[in-house]
Amino acid sequence: MDLSSLIGFGDAEDLKSSEGIQRLCQRINEREKQVNENLAALLSRKLTLETKVDACLIKHQQLFKTSVSDDSKKLADMIGHTADLAEKVSAKVRRLDTARTRAQEAQQRVDDLINLQLCSQGVMTAIKEENYEIGAGHVKRYLAMDKKILEKTADDVSSMTSVNQAVDTLEKAAKEMREIVKVKLDEAIKKNDLASAERFFKIFPQLGMYDEGISKFTSYLCTKLASKAEKELRQSMDIAKAEKRIQVAFADTFTNLLENVLRVIETNQPILESYYGYGHLLKMVKVLQIECDEETRKLMQDFNKNRLIQRRTNQINDFRKNSANTSTSTIGHLRKASGSIDKLNAKDLDALIAELTIMHSRAELYVRFIRRRVTNDIEKCFANEAMTEDEKKKEHELLETTIKRSQLNILMQDLLSTYLRFESYFMEESVIKAIHLDTYEQGQLCSSMVDDVFFIVRKCIRRSIGTQSIDGICAIINNGGACIEQEFVNALKNILKAGYPSGYIDLAQAYNAFQSSIQQGKIQTSDSEIARTKFLVTLNNADKSIEFIDALYQNISEEIKVAFPNINPLKKEMIESCLSGLKSVGDSMKTVVESGMQQLRNSAIKPRINPWIDQFQSFNHTLTDEELALYEAGETFIQSLIVQLDGLLNSFKKVLSEKNYDILVMMLASDVTARLERVIKKTVFDRNGGLVLDQEVRHLGTFLTGATSWTVRDKMARLTQIAIILNLEKISELFEYYDPKNQEGPFTVWRLTPNEIKSILKLRNDFKIDEIKKLQL
Amino acid sequence: MEDYKFLFKVVLIGNSGVGKTCLVRRFTQGVFPKGQGATIGVDFMIKTLEIENSTGQSENVKLQIWDTAGQERFRSITQSYYRSAHALILVYDISCQPTFDALSDWIREIQEYANPKVLKILVGNKTDRDDREIPVRVGEEFAKAHDMYFLETSSKQGENVEKLFYEIAAELIEQARRQKGGLSRTHHSSVTNLGMKSNISNFQSNCCSGSGSNNN
Ligand SMILES: Nc1nc2c(ncn2[C@@H]2O[C@H](COP(=O)(O)OP(=O)(O)OP(=O)(O)O)[C@@H](O)[C@H]2O)c(=O)[nH]1
Ligand SMILES: [Mg+2]
Repeated sequence: MDLSSLIGFGDAEDLKSSEGIQRLCQRINEREKQVNENLAALLSRKLTLETKVDACLIKHQQLFKTSVSDDSKKLADMIGHTADLAEKVSAKVRRLDTARTRAQEAQQRVDDLINLQLCSQGVMTAIKEENYEIGAGHVKRYLAMDKKILEKTADDVSSMTSVNQAVDTLEKAAKEMREIVKVKLDEAIKKNDLASAERFFKIFPQLGMYDEGISKFTSYLCTKLASKAEKELRQSMDIAKAEKRIQVAFADTFTNLLENVLRVIETNQPILESYYGYGHLLKMVKVLQIECDEETRKLMQDFNKNRLIQRRTNQINDFRKNSANTSTSTIGHLRKASGSIDKLNAKDLDALIAELTIMHSRAELYVRFIRRRVTNDIEKCFANEAMTEDEKKKEHELLETTIKRSQLNILMQDLLSTYLRFESYFMEESVIKAIHLDTYEQGQLCSSMVDDVFFIVRKCIRRSIGTQSIDGICAIINNGGACIEQEFVNALKNILKAGYPSGYIDLAQAYNAFQSSIQQGKIQTSDSEIARTKFLVTLNNADKSIEFIDALYQNISEEIKVAFPNINPLKKEMIESCLSGLKSVGDSMKTVVESGMQQLRNSAIKPRINPWIDQFQSFNHTLTDEELALYEAGETFIQSLIVQLDGLLNSFKKVLSEKNYDILVMMLASDVTARLERVIKKTVFDRNGGLVLDQEVRHLGTFLTGATSWTVRDKMARLTQIAIILNLEKISELFEYYDPKNQEGPFTVWRLTPNEIKSILKLRNDFKIDEIKKLQL
Repeated sequence: MEDYKFLFKVVLIGNSGVGKTCLVRRFTQGVFPKGQGATIGVDFMIKTLEIENSTGQSENVKLQIWDTAGQERFRSITQSYYRSAHALILVYDISCQPTFDALSDWIREIQEYANPKVLKILVGNKTDRDDREIPVRVGEEFAKAHDMYFLETSSKQGENVEKLFYEIAAELIEQARRQKGGLSRTHHSSVTNLGMKSNISNFQSNCCSGSGSNNN
């Protein structure tokens, strides 16, 4: 269909001049307005018709009752008529739509033709005048035209040749331009003329040469980076020496290297975005990464050579193999003994480990920067609808593979591996050394190893956070737990295994002995005294360790939270799991304390208190009133017992940690009350004797309560109840305290069984056996 | 907060490419992943199982599964996970002799780093392949010689995968019980591994019938 005939007026000649086209456009617009009005009118009629149909439907129902056939025929006619009308209306609408699209198309073609003429005239002049930006602008406009439509237009209009000529000119110009910018860019690069290189880099996308432009220009940037890197690598040692940064020289150089690459991205991303648009950054990054990889590789080679990485790794591995083969135990002192091989001093590794962490964190931050930038670029491109969902996904995947496959990534993994080996070795060896060099200062509860061991472990874990690698942090947390458990817990266990020598002790003397033996390196005082002190200090060390492990867990959790504020939930749970493994070492430590305290109880408490309590039996508990008065005036059993217990506890109070001392008091309370119960059961009481016992038990309770911050009420419960029974006026009074139906009792749960109550009642020589037997309990 | 009575750490080890990640994915997500690439460092996954105990009640068991990288360069990361593991799954590929030959190196690793009482399971994976190089019997013998359970699996077809993890969970619960429940809701590093011998035949008889059919 011919455009002008469709519109209904004007002729093809009009299209040859701009004014003619303008006129035609105007006419088209007028006609469109008319058509729209017609359409509106038709549509408004449609509405009336619809109302009529509705009315008909209502009528139809009414008719149903009367003469249906007659009216229904009328109705059918009417519906038919309506349908016809509607059909006609929609046909018109369709035609109008077609007309409108055609009109738009025509306008586009007209624009293209105008452009075509302008471009073909301009492009050659631009090239001649070396106005490449303008020339490329013309080519760009030409390239934006739809070639097929252009050809069709050429067919439609009579001056076919002029259109074809223009197309030819532009095709040739485009080809020429492409050649020119390529050559010019190469020249600029050869001359190291950044300004010109940038100029032509910007022209490439106009000519549709996106990939070529990016790859050529970025390669140029790479050569600049390479020469810079070479220079820096050469100078790095001198600079480091001058700035006293020898120990981090490679970290500094590596930082520079990565920063240089990032700076290139920073500077060129805006140019890329404004001349190429979004979605091209990854291409640039891919080229840059190759250079970054190469530079990193060279640097790492130097680093490995200079810092003796391979040799030191071998030393560590050999040492591990050796100690695994020779020692049956991993206790510090024994492992030391394996020493003939060339052993690496942990301290010498300290600075290198710090350098490794810096290097790894730099690489990690670099990768994060790249990932963030490219991801944003892809997302922006997608938001501008210059990319489909599928393409976006592919780009993201490509980014990940680019990162994953990069040499830098592999080198980072090796770096982390080296770091972990060195750090673990450092931690283990330092902990072993701290245990080995343990010193004790008089007046202290703990010896130096507790502070030292936890200082080392904390230092290592904190340093691992510096790597910025979750995997690295987790590994060091795991190894920290293993190290404390295997080296430290075992060392404590071994000391405790020697036991607590019993016998009379003067602890002050023992400490002096321990101290002087440490200072002079030989033992002067009796071995057992030293052993006792060592035992108690170890118990305190273990107790302190429980606190330290808790604190370590808390601090590290906090620090990780700060270092990784946006950590993903799975990684978070991963770290938590590792941390809880560390925390569980506290349980092993608790077992150490428990078993040590038990040993102390068996050798230092039980044997001492038993004879004191057995004295009870030499005190008569059947007393006349005079005897009672006399007894109370003199030194009672309980007074001397308390003095003795107090002396015993005091000897421990200053040398045990608060918690251990409390445990000791509780143990003593258990043992004293149990022993006392035993001797009570072997004694005969009368009313006055019961009174005395009641006082004695009260005194004991008061004393024990005063001795500890924990409650001893529970430990005293049975004794208190025994005293109540033996202090009864008469048997029936029992029920003021004891209610067989309500075990809650007036003041406490009864710990004594009915049988026990009866047998204790029998201890009173004034209570009748028959009466006791008859009791319903 | 989810509710579980036991928490166990299960660690998978073995050469790169034997299918550790596929086993874990099959178990936790029910799929056989395509082209996921070698594991970097260590991957971490969680699955809560319902296990029926001896009295017929069901209990929730949370498994923390650590899927380690087989590549040598990650060894210093992966080794750190041995100590706290309740169970170690050592995997080889039944169609790849070198992965079986490497087992003794792995056993050495276990001896050096793991708790001596850890539950150990040897798994021959990829039973769906028809180019088997390691006969079932050879795997079994190796397991027996090193005090391990034995099972053959296919993560591709899902064969014995559920069974592997469920039996591990059940066995660990048993051990925890024998340890007077000291393990529930805590991360104990010490696991006693009693009664292993009496159970090994039970574990094996099931798996052998499974892989036997594959053999024909
Ligand atoms: N036929 C078959 N192929 C399998 C099976 N399991 C894994 N594979 C394939 O073996 C290859 C390696 O599997 P992964 O699970 O990645 O191996 P991996 O042990 O995790 O390896 P690393 O992570 O490097 O230690 C993949 O190509 C899988 O498709 C299986 O059961 N049958
Ligand atoms: Mg894997």
